[in-house]
Amino acid sequence: MRRLRSPLGVAAVVSLAFLLFAVVLGPVIWAGDAVRTDTLALTQGPSAAHPMGTDGLGRDVLARVMVAARSTIGLALLATAVAVAGGLLLGGLPAVLGRRAGRLVNGFIGLVVAFPGLLIALVLAVVLGTGGRSAALAIGLASVPAFARLTQTLAASVAGRDFVAAARVLGVGRVRMLVRHILPNIGEPLIVQATLGAGGALLAFAALSFLGLGVQAPDYDWGLLLNEGLNRVYLNPAAALAPGIAVVLAGLAFNVLGEFAAQVFGGRAAVARPSGRSARPVPGDALTVTGLRVSYGDAVPVKDVSFTVAPGERVGIVGESGSGKSLTALAVSGLVEPPGVVSGSIASGETAMVFQDPMTSLNPALRVGTQLAEVARVHGRLARRAAWERAVTRLDDVHIAAAARVAAQYPHELSGGMRQRAMIAMGLMGGPRVIIADEPTTALDVTVQKQILDLLREVSSTTGAAILLISHDLAVVAQLCSRVLVMYAGVIVEDLTVERLLAGPAHPYTRALLASVPDMAADRSLPLATIPGRMPSPADPAAGCPFAPRCERADEHCREELPALEAGVRCWHPVDRPVASDAVRAGESGRDDLRVNGVGS
Amino acid sequence: MTALEFHDVRVRLGRGRHAVEVVRGVDLEVPSGTVVGLVGESGCGKSTLARAAVGLVPLAAGRISPERRRAVQLVFQDPYSSLDPRMSIGAAITEALPRSGRTAGEVARLLELVGLEREHAARLPRHLSGGQRQRVALARALAARPEVVIADEITSSLDVSVQGMVLNLVREIQRELGLTLLFISHNLAVVRYVSDRVAVMSQGLIVEQGPVDAVMSDPRDPYTRTLLDSIPRLR
Repeated sequence: MRRLRSPLGVAAVVSLAFLLFAVVLGPVIWAGDAVRTDTLALTQGPSAAHPMGTDGLGRDVLARVMVAARSTIGLALLATAVAVAGGLLLGGLPAVLGRRAGRLVNGFIGLVVAFPGLLIALVLAVVLGTGGRSAALAIGLASVPAFARLTQTLAASVAGRDFVAAARVLGVGRVRMLVRHILPNIGEPLIVQATLGAGGALLAFAALSFLGLGVQAPDYDWGLLLNEGLNRVYLNPAAALAPGIAVVLAGLAFNVLGEFAAQVFGGRAAVARPSGRSARPVPGDALTVTGLRVSYGDAVPVKDVSFTVAPGERVGIVGESGSGKSLTALAVSGLVEPPGVVSGSIASGETAMVFQDPMTSLNPALRVGTQLAEVARVHGRLARRAAWERAVTRLDDVHIAAAARVAAQYPHELSGGMRQRAMIAMGLMGGPRVIIADEPTTALDVTVQKQILDLLREVSSTTGAAILLISHDLAVVAQLCSRVLVMYAGVIVEDLTVERLLAGPAHPYTRALLASVPDMAADRSLPLATIPGRMPSPADPAAGCPFAPRCERADEHCREELPALEAGVRCWHPVDRPVASDAVRAGESGRDDLRVNGVGS
Repeated sequence: MTALEFHDVRVRLGRGRHAVEVVRGVDLEVPSGTVVGLVGESGCGKSTLARAAVGLVPLAAGRISPERRRAVQLVFQDPYSSLDPRMSIGAAITEALPRSGRTAGEVARLLELVGLEREHAARLPRHLSGGQRQRVALARALAARPEVVIADEITSSLDVSVQGMVLNLVREIQRELGLTLLFISHNLAVVRYVSDRVAVMSQGLIVEQGPVDAVMSDPRDPYTRTLLDSIPRLR
């Protein structure tokens, strides 16, 4: 409903009301005036009795325009219906036919789409004979190719998705596949296109009638009225203006409706202002984050995050999806897009960002070296040649063999691991104090993952840059980092060293997370530990510890008050860390640990 | 008895001069009622092999039995794209059932089998979490009464805690129904946890196979050794 109150929504509603009024009531109210001839007032200009003047037989022009609305819009809709039906049939064929026949149909669509629509409409109108219906058919058929192309393209994109493959494995037939699986998933853009197409059909129709190929007298539509009006334009310009204005208004109305439909289906939201960020380097720390909060309206995915990272320190943030770890990383690098709102303070030196998918974060149209050199040219104000040389040096630093050759290549020519190395090299160009790596190895194979983690460690120790590694994988974090921040539902629940993490964390969530990962030593005869329930949604305003509903140790207090992060743990009932001599006993008495694959006890 | 058998299977992707042989002669047996794990890195051809087994890509040479459609079912990696967003859970499962057995009771039984409620049948995929969607995908595969289920990276896009639940479920169902399962993953720890036997695939070939414990503790092939050495370890 909120969309209806936007300017576009209001315009759409008003346009729809205007169209409906003219179509439904036009002929009812004005039918009499439209045919009454007045021999005393032939071809008159506007007057009180005839606001838009009269035509050659003394009939009221305004009344005739209003009466013609029904036939004009009706025929335009008929043409659109023909276009949609034909387009769906032709465009859906390739999905139903086999590969070879489908390719033929695609070729045919490509061929006919190349002809201008209006030209086809003109030829068809002549072939099909004059008259309203045949003109509608001509315009409809002329728009079939464009609609078929859209249908076919959309269908092909849906057909490539897994659920279509899954249905094929189940033996679902091609026709059913099209009707049940493909068409419902491409309906929205088609509806938008059809609405916009109706506006186009209206204009085309007016054009055909104007040329005398459409509606024939004594019937009339806006195009024909326009034609008549133009013949006497020097006697009564209003008679030509009135149908012209009607065509423009109705065309606009269809376009506004189509735009509105696109907005509703596309879920395009209004763009908010970007949020600010302070970046002042603090002596002694590479990165200081205080009271960071990221909100999207009522949803607050990052609630209150504070931490510091020392120069050269390697800190990992782990958490499951929805924990706010990636948003924290984005906020720290100032990359939260509107409508997200960032508050709190972030102070850091120069940062570099390494993303999960280097294919999407490197520009595919630019050579690797050019992209790296650009950083040096913008930041370091180096000349083209010097910047390129530094780029090659950096590529060499990240152990890319034949760096000079790779610099001249495009991102798609490199393997995933190479691209990630190039991304890291790009980060190094600016001489960063902090490298933020968001799931840098998730898209990579284990053997390559190891190399990238080793590289990050090496880069950190040679350049003194701190590393903030965001990962869902505890093992990856443990391999690279010395300290781990565990996030859950937008807050840090535990801040601990990797040694502590391995020896036995204090927060029940960290312990549960650790226990649920199968590793190479997991007992295969026991089920894996799981965490029942779900993480609360970011819009959940509940007070108290967010993990309480899933926590065995939780009591009333936990549900009412969020504990502070004290001594590295945000918990009212932290698990006591086993003292060395107690470790064996604790392992025996912990019933949970006996029943499932437990935490390293 | 062998439920699924690959015999010198070759698959070529692409056409003409650009064709690449992705699977280069694979022999693999999945004995009835057992779980065979297939590990390998991206691009090694393991997913192509799975797609070939269900007829989604044509064979260039070799033979896969059973050849009957629907006898082999595939559970896909991404539960967000493998379910039709416009189809209710109940309708999706019903579609997979044999024509004679399309009853609400059967849908409810399958939902229960994968740990979901009867009420989930009316919901759309977008109302479910990733783990729940993967359960639905599993129920859907089982609905077709397959002789073999191929699970292709079914936990790769799930969170670790959810991954644990799905893995437990897969093991439970496998034992309960005596299911034959080809479990494909890049994650050795996950494969080790669910499989009886394991096959290691590299560059379109099976380089090593055998009982899980033997392969993991005493790898023969250098590639398997590299793979095992690269795993980040927690303890």
